[in-house]
Amino acid sequence: MRVASPWPPARSLRPSSAVRLLSSTTASYNNFYRNRQLERYAARETRRLSLRQLVFFGRSMNEERLIKSANYVRTELPVRIAHRIRDLQALPYVVVTQPDVAKVYELYWTAFEKRGFVKSLYLIRRYPQINTTSDNEKFCNFLGSLLSEHSGVIPALSLGLSLSSPHLPPDQLDSFMRRMLVTRISRRVLVDHHVALSRAVAKHGAVDSHQRIGIIYPNLDVKACIMQSVKHLKARPLAPLDITGIDSGDIPWPDVVIDGHVDTTFAYIKEHFDYMVFELLKNSMRFTRMFASRHRPNEPLPPIRATIVAGPDDIHLRISDNGGGITTPKVSSPEDLYSFSHVRNRSRLEGERLGALRDVSSSGRGMTATFAEQLADITPAGVSKPDKIGRIGLGLPMSNIYATYFGGSLDLMSLDGWGTDVYLRLPKLGTNLEGIDI
Amino acid sequence: MLRRSALPPRTWLPRGLSRCRPLHSPPPDRTSPEVISLLDTYSRLPPRPVPLSTLLSFGSPLSPESLLDSASYVLHELPRRLVHRVHSFDSLPYIVGTNPFIARTRQQYRSSFIALASQSSVDTLEDNWAFSQKLEELVKIHANDIPAMAKGFLESTRYMAPADISKFLDAAIQSRIAIRLIAEQHISLSRALRDPSSVSHNIGVVNPNCSPAEVIRMCASFVGELCEATLGSRPELIVEGVKDATFPYVSVHLEYILTEIFKNAFRATVEHHRAQKSTGPLPPITITISPSPCFLSLRVRDEGGGVPRNNMERIFSYAFTTAGRSAKGDSNDDDGGPYAAQHIGGSAALGTGLDSMESGDGGLFGEITGKALQTGLGTIAGLGYGLPLARRYASYFGGSLELVSLYGHGADVFIKLRSLDRGADVEI
Repeated sequence: MRVASPWPPARSLRPSSAVRLLSSTTASYNNFYRNRQLERYAARETRRLSLRQLVFFGRSMNEERLIKSANYVRTELPVRIAHRIRDLQALPYVVVTQPDVAKVYELYWTAFEKRGFVKSLYLIRRYPQINTTSDNEKFCNFLGSLLSEHSGVIPALSLGLSLSSPHLPPDQLDSFMRRMLVTRISRRVLVDHHVALSRAVAKHGAVDSHQRIGIIYPNLDVKACIMQSVKHLKARPLAPLDITGIDSGDIPWPDVVIDGHVDTTFAYIKEHFDYMVFELLKNSMRFTRMFASRHRPNEPLPPIRATIVAGPDDIHLRISDNGGGITTPKVSSPEDLYSFSHVRNRSRLEGERLGALRDVSSSGRGMTATFAEQLADITPAGVSKPDKIGRIGLGLPMSNIYATYFGGSLDLMSLDGWGTDVYLRLPKLGTNLEGIDI
Repeated sequence: MLRRSALPPRTWLPRGLSRCRPLHSPPPDRTSPEVISLLDTYSRLPPRPVPLSTLLSFGSPLSPESLLDSASYVLHELPRRLVHRVHSFDSLPYIVGTNPFIARTRQQYRSSFIALASQSSVDTLEDNWAFSQKLEELVKIHANDIPAMAKGFLESTRYMAPADISKFLDAAIQSRIAIRLIAEQHISLSRALRDPSSVSHNIGVVNPNCSPAEVIRMCASFVGELCEATLGSRPELIVEGVKDATFPYVSVHLEYILTEIFKNAFRATVEHHRAQKSTGPLPPITITISPSPCFLSLRVRDEGGGVPRNNMERIFSYAFTTAGRSAKGDSNDDDGGPYAAQHIGGSAALGTGLDSMESGDGGLFGEITGKALQTGLGTIAGLGYGLPLARRYASYFGGSLELVSLYGHGADVFIKLRSLDRGADVEI
C-alpha cells in the first residue's frame, strides 16, 4: 500500500522566497536527516581557554608551543561553529525561514555539508594536523580567509532578526544575537592571538612580552589610544551629509579634552579598546555638531570631555558631550539602543536602517566590527559612502558586547536637552584573569 | 478639572458624629467608643490617588467659595490617609512599636487623625482660618517624623528585617508627601485669601516659575556653610547649562533633593581631597541645568572619590551611612554615629515651633536643617536617609534620580523632574 509522503510536494506550497531559497540547496528537506555529522561536532564540549592561560601560554612561546596552539585552534573552531549552527536550528521556524536569516544559516550549514562558496569553513573540518612551523604558516594564512569569508554574517543576521522581531520576544532575540556576537569575538580572539604569536615568533624567535603578547597589550596607554582615535576622526572631511541627511555645515569637529588619571596604562586587547573608543567618540562628535548647528550655531563649540579613572580593579573612561542627549520618542531608555528588537528600539525596523543593512550584507565587504574596518571606512575611499556602520546601527551594540566581554560595562546616561555621558568600565586584565574564558 | 459640584457636600460627615461639636474641645480619649468608631469608619474607605490638578484647581481662581471647597476636600482626603498610617504603625512588631521614637510618631499620627476626623464642617471663612491654623499646627508636629522614624528604626534593626523596614518606610514617605501636599496647599490658599499682599510668587504648593538656579544658590549656600563649619573648608559650585530656565514644580521638594545631594557631594569632595593628601585647591562641584519638553534635568558632578561598586546597591537603602562608623560598616551599635545623634538630639528633642514656617518657603528645608543650624551642630553627614529620600521625592511625580560612580574619582547624580503644568496628569 502506498503511503503518502509526509512531505508535501514543493510545488503546492506558497512560493515564498524563503522556500525557494531553501529548496535550491540539495534536497533541503533531507537536511533533517543529515544533521548527524553536525551533531557529532556539536556534541563535543568547547575547550575554553582562560585568559590567564592565553597570556601565560603566550609569554613562554616557542615553536613547539606554537604548534600545540595551532592544533588547538584547528580542532576547536569546528566545534564552536557547530554549536552556533545548533543555536540557529533552535530558533523558531518562522525566523530561520526569513530570507536573510536563511542566508546566514545556509552559510554555516553548507560549510559542513559540502564545498560551497564558503570553502574555508568546510576545510577547517578536514584540515590536517599541523606538525611544523611552515605548516603553521600556511595555517595562519588559511585562518585569515576563514574569518573574512564570514564577514557577511553580522549585518545579514542583524537584518534578518530585525525583520523577524515580531516573532521573537525581545529578550530571546537579544540574547540570541548576543550569543552569536560574543562567540564570534571568541573565535576571533583565538585566531588573532594565535596568528599574532606566530608572527612574533617568526620575526623575533620569541614574544616580547612588554609590548604585546599576541593581541594583548600589557601596558596599553589610554590617553594615547584616545588621541589616536581623535586624530583619525578629526581628519575626516566635514562636507558629507550626516547619515540622517543633516548637514551640520561649517561646524568643525569638536575638540576632545582629556583629564583625570591621564597617565593610566592597563593590560587589554588593543583592538577591542580602540573599537569602543572610536565608536563612542564618533557618536559624541556627530551629536555635538548636530546640536550646535541646530541650537547654538554662533557660540564656541563646546569640547567633548574624556575622563580617565584608574580604580583598583577597573579602568573607567567617561565621555561627556554637549550633544543634546539621546532619549527620543523612539528610544525610551539608553539601554534600548543596544537592543536588536524593534519592541525596544523602533529604529530597527525603519526603512532606512533596513535598506542600509541590506546594502552592507549584500556587498562583498560585510562587517567585521574591528578598528581596522572603522579606519578603512573613513579613508578617502570609504568616505564616499557616509558612515556605513553608523547607518546600520550596530556600533553601539557591538561596543556594548566588547565592553561586557571580559566583565566590564557600558552605560549611557542622557541629560535630555544638554548631552550624553557614556561610562565605559573595563576590568584590568592584569589583575583579574580568573573566571574569564575565551 | 474636578467640578465643584462633584465634590462631597460640605456638610458631609461620617455617620455617628455630632455636627455641633465645638472646634476647640479636647480630642476624645483614645480608647473611647467614639474614637474607635471613627477609626473604624475611616478604615473602610479605601486609599485612592487623587489628581494633582484637582488640588490645584481650588486656587485658580481663588475665591471664598473655592477655599471652602478646598477645606471640604482636605477633610475628605486626609483622615483616610492618616488612618492608614496609624494602621501601618499598629502592624509593626510589638517590640518595635515600643521604641520611644516609633511610639511617639505613631501617637502623633493617631492624634492628628482624631483631630481631623472629629473636625466639624468648615462653613465660613472664620471657621476656615481656625481650621487652617490647626492644619499648620499639625504640620509642625509632624515636622520631624522622618528623622524620628529613622532613629527608631536604626535602634530596631535587630528586630526587623531590612526589607520590611524598607517597605514600611517607602509607604510612610510616599503617603507623607501626599498628606503634606494636600495640607500645605490648603494652608497656602487660606493665607493668600486672607492677606493677598503676603503672597510672594505663587499661590499653592506648585510654583509655576520655580527657578532651579535660584534654589541651587540657596541650597549651595546653606550646605556650603554647614560644610565649612563642620569640616573646615568648602568646595566651589559651578553652575552651567540653561541658567535662566524655570519650570512649574513644588519648590520645597527641589530644595530637599538638592540639599541632600549637595551634602553628599560637598562632604565627599572635602574628605576625599584630604584622604588623597592633595595640595591643590578643592576640586569644584559642577551642576548642569537642562530643560526639555516635559522635564527639567539636573546633573551634579563631583570629584569626591565615588562609591565602591559593592556599596552601590546599598547607598539607596535606608540607613546606610558611612558617617561615624568604622570602615567595615558594622551595624552592631546602631546609634548612627555622632552625626546622627547630633541631628536627632538637636531637632527631635527640641520638638516643635519652627520659625521658618512663617515665611512660607521654609517647608521641609527649614525643618530638617533649621534646627541643626540653631543648635550649631552640623549634619553634613546624616542618617543615611538622604539618597533614598531624595530619590523618593524626585520620582514622586514621575521623575527619577540616578547615581553613577567612577570609583577613585567621583560621582555623577542625574535628577530628572517632571514639569507640573496645571498638574500635568499626575496623581498623588
